[in-house]
Amino acid sequence: MQRYAYLKAIADDTGNALAVCTGWSAREWWAVRPSDGNLKTRTLGLVSSIAAGLAFALPHRKVIAIDGDGAFLMNLCGLPTIALQRPPNLIHLLFDNEVYEASGGTATASHIADAVSLAKGAGYPHACWVSTAEEFRAEFLQAWQSDRLSLIAVKVEPGQPKDLPPLALDELENKYTFMRYLERTEKKGILSPGFDSKS
Amino acid sequence: MDNMDAKQSALAIVAGLKKAGIDFVATLPDEKMLEVIRTVEKDSGLRHIPLCREEEGVGICAGAYLAGRKTALILQNAGFLNSCNAVTTTSLQFQIPTLLLIYFAGDIGDRGFTTLGAVTEPVLQALGIRSYVLRKTEEIDEILVGAQILAEDSKRPVAVLLTKSLLGVK
Ligand SMILES: [Mg+2]
Repeated sequence: MQRYAYLKAIADDTGNALAVCTGWSAREWWAVRPSDGNLKTRTLGLVSSIAAGLAFALPHRKVIAIDGDGAFLMNLCGLPTIALQRPPNLIHLLFDNEVYEASGGTATASHIADAVSLAKGAGYPHACWVSTAEEFRAEFLQAWQSDRLSLIAVKVEPGQPKDLPPLALDELENKYTFMRYLERTEKKGILSPGFDSKS
Repeated sequence: MDNMDAKQSALAIVAGLKKAGIDFVATLPDEKMLEVIRTVEKDSGLRHIPLCREEEGVGICAGAYLAGRKTALILQNAGFLNSCNAVTTTSLQFQIPTLLLIYFAGDIGDRGFTTLGAVTEPVLQALGIRSYVLRKTEEIDEILVGAQILAEDSKRPVAVLLTKSLLGVK
């Protein structure tokens, strides 16, 4: 099964959670859960760290990191940093297709490096492999309800449906839309007044 | 490094950060900044995130900024070099202000890191990151408050290079 099927399985359960994506998953996530609370990142590896920063800053808000094996392996140092803070509101999803999909399909080391062992070894209180969409959804709901930092990992086939609409979103536009959405839903000012400021 | 000068400098630097509005600080230690990091850790008005590698700190600060926090990253210049891709493709590309407090290893009078000292300012300049060398305690507030205003207004990281003399360490 491809990543898309798993994303689709939880899309309706994600409420007003913030979701941080990387690589090809963004197009899929937007298709199954269109929301101003979606953010696509650029730096390979940083999806989990950016999601963690959001989770630290908004402890009452659920944050979902949609990670891939290439990004995950690049940012192993980020795992103990997250585990040290144990953000109960962070749900770390890992779609492991064993290739750098967005970079042309070269193999990653994830066929020998076990992501769940890595996360547990780094101090995550919960990390597990699942292998069906039903298990995936059950683990996701469990992570949501238990308020426990969790990594949910699944092996997937590379690729995505051919008919997904491209993201019609500039990345700065994505940033501002995301921030304005947080201002609305958190009911607080975030962006500084800018050119209308008297200071 | 456990002397009064270092403690007083650290208190003044952390007070300056708070005057600048900073409320979220990610750090990776350099021996010269131990007192600064200890002071950050003790301060209940600052959320402190200890890092394992500087690059992830760029991402953590970016996420916290999007949610309304005012962020600083405390690191050594070696760690700044580690984080250049993240600074470029996250902070600069998404226009994220982050105050970078960088220990200036290899500065004038500092042994052991001259190569690092030599490349620090040219790399910052190449990235288009404005930087200020902070050498004197009496300039702490002006430079930290000013650098954060600049970071927010330009929506870019701004670097403040902290020297041994400022930090009160040998
Ligand atoms: Mg992959």
